Amino acid sequence: MPSNISNSSGLQRLIAQLAPLLIVSALVFALPVLLNNDFLLNKVARYLVLGILTISLGLSWGFGGILNLGQAMSFGLGSYAMAMALKLKTVPVHTGASGLPDFMVWNNVQHLPWFWEPFRSLSFAIAAGLLVPALVAAGLGWFMFRGRVTGVYVSIITLATMVVINLVIIDQQSYTGGFNGITDLAQLELFGVAFDAYGRATYYLVAGCVLLSLLIAFAFTKSRAGLIVQAIRDHESRVRYFGYDVALYQIFVFALSAAIAGLAGMLYTVVMEFASPTFLGVQLSLSVVVWCAVGGRQSLVGAFLGAVLVAGMQGALSESAAFLETWTLVMGALFVLVVLFLPKGLAGLAQATCRWVAQRRQAASGAVGRGVSQTEGST
Amino acid sequence: MSSHLDLRDVSVSFNGFKALNSLNMSVCKGELRCLIGPNGAGKTTALDIICGKVKPSAGIVSFDGTALQDLEEYEIARAGVGRKFQVPSVFRELSVSDNLEVARARRTSVFGNLRWSIGNAGRDDIERLAELVGLTEQLDRPAAYLSHGQTQWLEIGMLVAQDAELILMDEPTAGMTAQETRKTAELFARLKGKHTLIVVEHDMGFVKAIGDIISVMHMGQMLAEGTAAEVEAHPEVRRAYLGSGGISHA
Amino acid sequence: MDQLIEQIVTGLSIGSILLLVALGLSIIYGSMGIINLAHGEFVMLGAYAAWVFHTYLGLGLLASLVPIFLVVAAFGWVIERYVLSLLNNRPLDTILATWGVGIMLQQAVRLMVGSELRYVQLPPALADSMDVFGIPISSYRVFLFVVSIALFGATWLLMNRTTVGMKLRAIIQDRSVAASFGINAKRVYALTFAYGAGLAGLAGALVSPLKSVSPDMGTGYVVDAFMVVVLGGVQSLAGTVASAFILGELSGGIAFLQNDTVAKTIVLLAIVVLIRFRPEGLFTARVRA
Ligand SMILES: Nc1ncnc2c1ncn2[C@@H]1O[C@H](COP(=O)(O)OP(=O)(O)O)[C@@H](O)[C@H]1O
Ligand SMILES: [Mg+2]
Repeated sequence: MPSNISNSSGLQRLIAQLAPLLIVSALVFALPVLLNNDFLLNKVARYLVLGILTISLGLSWGFGGILNLGQAMSFGLGSYAMAMALKLKTVPVHTGASGLPDFMVWNNVQHLPWFWEPFRSLSFAIAAGLLVPALVAAGLGWFMFRGRVTGVYVSIITLATMVVINLVIIDQQSYTGGFNGITDLAQLELFGVAFDAYGRATYYLVAGCVLLSLLIAFAFTKSRAGLIVQAIRDHESRVRYFGYDVALYQIFVFALSAAIAGLAGMLYTVVMEFASPTFLGVQLSLSVVVWCAVGGRQSLVGAFLGAVLVAGMQGALSESAAFLETWTLVMGALFVLVVLFLPKGLAGLAQATCRWVAQRRQAASGAVGRGVSQTEGST
Repeated sequence: MSSHLDLRDVSVSFNGFKALNSLNMSVCKGELRCLIGPNGAGKTTALDIICGKVKPSAGIVSFDGTALQDLEEYEIARAGVGRKFQVPSVFRELSVSDNLEVARARRTSVFGNLRWSIGNAGRDDIERLAELVGLTEQLDRPAAYLSHGQTQWLEIGMLVAQDAELILMDEPTAGMTAQETRKTAELFARLKGKHTLIVVEHDMGFVKAIGDIISVMHMGQMLAEGTAAEVEAHPEVRRAYLGSGGISHA
Repeated sequence: MDQLIEQIVTGLSIGSILLLVALGLSIIYGSMGIINLAHGEFVMLGAYAAWVFHTYLGLGLLASLVPIFLVVAAFGWVIERYVLSLLNNRPLDTILATWGVGIMLQQAVRLMVGSELRYVQLPPALADSMDVFGIPISSYRVFLFVVSIALFGATWLLMNRTTVGMKLRAIIQDRSVAASFGINAKRVYALTFAYGAGLAGLAGALVSPLKSVSPDMGTGYVVDAFMVVVLGGVQSLAGTVASAFILGELSGGIAFLQNDTVAKTIVLLAIVVLIRFRPEGLFTARVRA
């Protein structure tokens, strides 16, 4: 959209809002220069992926008011899509002539199931990793939002749905690898580049996806549709009387959020080198809510940093089991405190601080101004 | 002028209580109709029926030949009906300008709205609207910080932004100062003709200032219709208002 | 025939446990609109309290019931007073806060007494079994059935026949009007939450001899209790009873017919469908919003 001078303040504001996003992305890209350790880089890449997942929750929760307690469902679906493709790339190297993934051979499966067939194509798998979560979310969204399910009930339905899918995946061991998930994967190869989990290429792939997700989410929140979604969060029924079909907007943001979570899931498989039912488990799904709340649900960058910092800290402490136990307690307390006193999370705190500093400065310069005019008046 | 909005034998009950009992009303195009009546008469419910918030248990609501009673709220809005609520309803976390932007519902589809929300024409439009309702200074502030009167103004501004053919106003001047009320009356006089308005009001001075025809409701039914003088002289209207100190104190 | 009666009696026994666990959740949800995700942890605290009283103080289960109720109720009171009362009008945030509290309680117990399973002894007086309609059933289960009905009765009386209950109902109707009549909503809410928590604690203590006690035992109970409340309908104590026993009978049936995954899936899908199509529960009359 072209802009003229009358509109430049709007443009300036847009740039100011984009700044934190670009700075954080730049730091993410610059990290390998400082951190010359492939093992650590892999760990950081993992936290970055969880950051993308948390951005996706921020989009639906912070902006759409839809607290999806089953956000990990989309994440898990994405990660399985990628794992299925990478698993098929190991056939027949690992499992010989039968042409089946190893766990299927162990489970006496005779033929590759029909829904595995298309995953021989990596492009299909990548498309599926984005579209399957989005379509499942759209279907679930249609089911809920057409019936005007709101608030707490949305959270319960999403959580229950995720648990059901999780149960099914664990139960259908011969097709999904069950409890163990899908392991022993081939390396991802795209455009002739091999993405070793511990290589720089993978790190930059993840970093690029961080930037991409932030930009897409940002663009959406700045669009008219994004504005209407925020209006729905504030006062759902009021929006209807302006002629908007509220359910469609909710379905859209829900599906967009799921697609981004699916992207994160695919990356997670590449970084972790396996897919597991825990990727769509209750534990992870609820952790994402904590990260998002701590970072700031109404700030995309805040949600991202919340995940990276908290998950990173947890990862650092998890070396010792005793620490981890205490950590869970501390995390619970921190979470309750954030919910009580910082509903906008650390990002909200940062914004408030910036505003406070700006006001102080303004007040100071204002006082100087008044002092001058007073002396003028007295002379 | 032909009949534009028609309510025919509309009834609603809440747990057996008949809030509307075979209500009839018709309004012409471009008219400004005032709707008065004692508390609990069913005025708000009548507006709820028109905008689809409440579905009638019997009766027909037709607007420009379209039967509204079977449509969803958003479809009724698209058919050209706008509504201001008795409890001011705005988007509290959004800025005043974003509130107005949401109300400027030229396009309503999701994909039609996947574009930047800062067009130039739009910005001018919003500044003009803000000036109209005296909120220019507040454009960038969240609506949550507005005073009660300002919130009323914002919602009125949002209805102007929506540019609906039929505008329903439920007690728009509640909580306003005398001066603000006068300004509202001026604004309504300007909207009249271009839009059709139904205004629920208690302030008889305001009603006399703006209304051509006044409809009086009582116990879910239409009691009387006519000019201010006619209505005030109507014996049943006097009886309905008895005890609340007469019509002008309602 | 015998088998059918046996099935029904088993269902009643499961139902009475469900009722015990759900009653507190139902009170809190119905009157305060709070889905208390820490409810399962209150149940767990009650069970651990029973274990502690027995192991360290040598107190029998029956003798510990009243102190357990008071201890867990005190926990509830503190949580309402210092956490939930700060979250007026933020229903989604109360879910999150109660969940956070639940994690803390679970973790605190794990740190203090470890995560190994603990066992609580049956009261010796109730350790034998008796005949019900010709079916031998453990006396303790009959006792649980009686207690659950008695607690329901007491709760009903409390809500409908006491001034605190009347005040609570006034607040549910309209908080500001109630306040203008001098009702201290804060205090009534805190008492209600404490009472609900106390009931959960009692439930935990009472089921502890039947199941092993562990820090994460609450998770399962909160799902069951929630199912009961959703099915029975918010604000309907009678609905809670009906749904507890219906679910008791059903799960008695399902458990024999199907494997665990299928049973869990059916329960979850039932919750989803119920919320979508009858959010007000099965046993409440439809009212216009
Ligand atoms: N949702 C509802 N449930 C039950 N009764 C209602 C509801 N809405 C309105 N009523 C009742 O319907 C009657 C008409 O209300 P209303 O239309 O708000 O009156 P008015 O706006 O004329 O003061 C009142 O007696 C009111 O108590
Ligand atoms: Mg009214």
